[in-house]
Amino acid sequence: MDLAYTDEQNMLRESIEKFLASEYDLTARQKLVSSETGFSGQHWQTYADLGWLGLPIAEDFGGLGGDLVDTMIMFEAFGKGLVVEPVLSTLVLFAGALDIGGSEDQKQAYLPSIASGEVQGALAYLEAAAPTDLHVVETTAVSVDTNYTITGTKSVVLHAASADHFLVSARTSGSADDPAGISLFLVPADSDGVSRKDYPTVDGLRASELVFDQVKVPQTACVGNLGEGLTLLQRVINRGILAISAEAVGAMQVLYESTIEYTKQREQFDHPLADFQVVKHRLTEMFIEYNLAKSLCMKATMLENQRTDDAQRHIHALKFLVGKSSRFVGQNAVQLHGGMGMTEDLAVAHYFKRLMMIDATFGHTDIHLQAFVG
Amino acid sequence: MDTSFSSEDLAFQKRVRAFIDENVPSGMAMWTERSKWFEALREQGGWDVPKWPEHFGGPGFTATQRYIFDSEMGKQPTPPQLPFGVGMLAPILMNYGSEEQQQRFLPGIRDGSVNWCQGYSEPGAGSDLANLKTKAVLSDDGSHYLVNGQKIWTTLAHIAHWIFCLTRTSSDGAKQEGITFLLIPMDDPGVEVRPIITLGGSHSVNEVYLTDVKVPVENRVGEEGKGWTYAKGLLAHERSGLAGIQSSVLGLEKAKVNAEKIRIGGGTLLDLPSFKNKVGVLEAELLALEFTEMRTLARVAAGGDPGPESSILKLKGTEIQQRITELNLEAAGMFAAPWGHEAFGPDFAHGATQSYLGGRATTIYGGASEVQKDVIAKNVLGLG
Repeated sequence: MDLAYTDEQNMLRESIEKFLASEYDLTARQKLVSSETGFSGQHWQTYADLGWLGLPIAEDFGGLGGDLVDTMIMFEAFGKGLVVEPVLSTLVLFAGALDIGGSEDQKQAYLPSIASGEVQGALAYLEAAAPTDLHVVETTAVSVDTNYTITGTKSVVLHAASADHFLVSARTSGSADDPAGISLFLVPADSDGVSRKDYPTVDGLRASELVFDQVKVPQTACVGNLGEGLTLLQRVINRGILAISAEAVGAMQVLYESTIEYTKQREQFDHPLADFQVVKHRLTEMFIEYNLAKSLCMKATMLENQRTDDAQRHIHALKFLVGKSSRFVGQNAVQLHGGMGMTEDLAVAHYFKRLMMIDATFGHTDIHLQAFVG
Repeated sequence: MDTSFSSEDLAFQKRVRAFIDENVPSGMAMWTERSKWFEALREQGGWDVPKWPEHFGGPGFTATQRYIFDSEMGKQPTPPQLPFGVGMLAPILMNYGSEEQQQRFLPGIRDGSVNWCQGYSEPGAGSDLANLKTKAVLSDDGSHYLVNGQKIWTTLAHIAHWIFCLTRTSSDGAKQEGITFLLIPMDDPGVEVRPIITLGGSHSVNEVYLTDVKVPVENRVGEEGKGWTYAKGLLAHERSGLAGIQSSVLGLEKAKVNAEKIRIGGGTLLDLPSFKNKVGVLEAELLALEFTEMRTLARVAAGGDPGPESSILKLKGTEIQQRITELNLEAAGMFAAPWGHEAFGPDFAHGATQSYLGGRATTIYGGASEVQKDVIAKNVLGLG
């Protein structure tokens, strides 16, 4: 057993933290949030140039061949800076699906240009009918000659507006809630029949409602085996859960540390708040919650890296625990900042909102607790 | 001891229900028919100001009637009344104001033509309210005070005509002494309001800067240096009012309906054991809290003070409010995210996010939960 980061991993963490310290204070971040695209294209190119976008991509396809632990380290650092660039969508979900289930041709067609920063992708899987049931897919893909015709609506597709390509879950056979018969298709964003409604999200990102109206794609657009998309989708979502959990761990660290700083300075009743035992204990509990989340995040990531049998169970436990601890740390950071914690001028509010949405993303606490206890 | 209502009380309950059925506006009418609603309440004999004593035009409810009235009103949304005038300033004017002040200010408070805001908190005086620094200096001829300082978290200051302020007129002795209660018009050139945008992007609280504001002594309520005593008595009332128990009962029912709209597995979110348990725990605690409120009311009816026990209501009531917002947020799921002008997903999703974010303030304002616990420990349990 070795739980220490390698030199390369430490360098990665340090380079991201250095970048964030110089380029990503709250003012700069909020400027990006309110910009037209909602993030910085220039930063995106920097991420590519520094090798971050190639990190999880195999060396054969222009990447660095990193594993899920590397991705965890990267997302923990991004979580500390509340990074708004579409790294989750493009790298973890879109490229991740190709990495797991794509053919050699598909990987060659997309992964090198993702690593170089030229191409972005988004995963369109969520549907309003049963948003947390991955197997409920009403969107259909009908085989016509050598093509498939996709029709349906996808909701809250993260960073769809900036994506060049979508990966879309659609039903090629079976009824709407049949676990079999789901397939994943690559769809160019500018295809005929694709329409979008874009909006900002409460946590400073961008998302869209996507409508596919008889969108034609060739048979070769199918990623993985036809009708076996659910397994692939579950694996991709698992990687998503690991990434945003690491992001939450980074965000929680910033929150408990900044709350300690604030309560040491803020005086009421002639004492710094941090002098009061109730405040000390609360800060200690925040620190404990953060550490438990971090531990399980590390363990689940390593198990999924090795594809062990109990990885899935750990991922459910992780998503539950991260939701619970994020809520505790986030709510108490706001509470202990008092009125100041309620203002958008302080970073606390923005970390709080991001943690709130991480809990909602890929299923909230109760769903994963249920899956965990079985 | 008997929890059942007398026949008179039952008749009163019937009357209140009939009144509501006949008069309560819904939807947009909640805003457009506001004044009609309050007029109809007034015609019933002071129902528009249910907590005011009879000789100030209130209905003179018994404690049981108050409970019945509040419960029935809480069973559906009604047009909101700003609390600062009717609920907060009016009782202070009634108890400590001069007759002239009562005649001057109470009518505008009651008919809603004059909006008030509360100038208590300051950057250095939040939970430790007595630490306030806004200075009021009496002129040599004793005709007016010159006020300088800053208030913060002032709710709706941007639409208020007047602000009632705690100011410091003396720094001698304990912090609680030397505080004076002043009434200041917002259109004074020395009053400046700056908005504070809170979590979720809404604007309801403000900073209020007071620079060389001349306040005639006629606008001082009660005696100089006694402002803390006046305000403190009211804080107990404010706190019990913040519990929002009836609206939580309503909110929890709504949350169940919302959760039932969310399909999960073969059933709905409400069927999920851990979710259902949270709903059950909240229902049980609300039943208990409702009756705790009734016990407080019974004490008042017997001539007692709502007393420090009212802190229990604020403490538990606001935590329950927050937990209900969490249920709705969970039900909204990813549809909590869209933050544009158009709503997507379940009809309650956008509101769920706003309520969750805004609701974080309820355990901070009116005395943070941590301070409420200190109040109970000190004043009820006698722990130093």
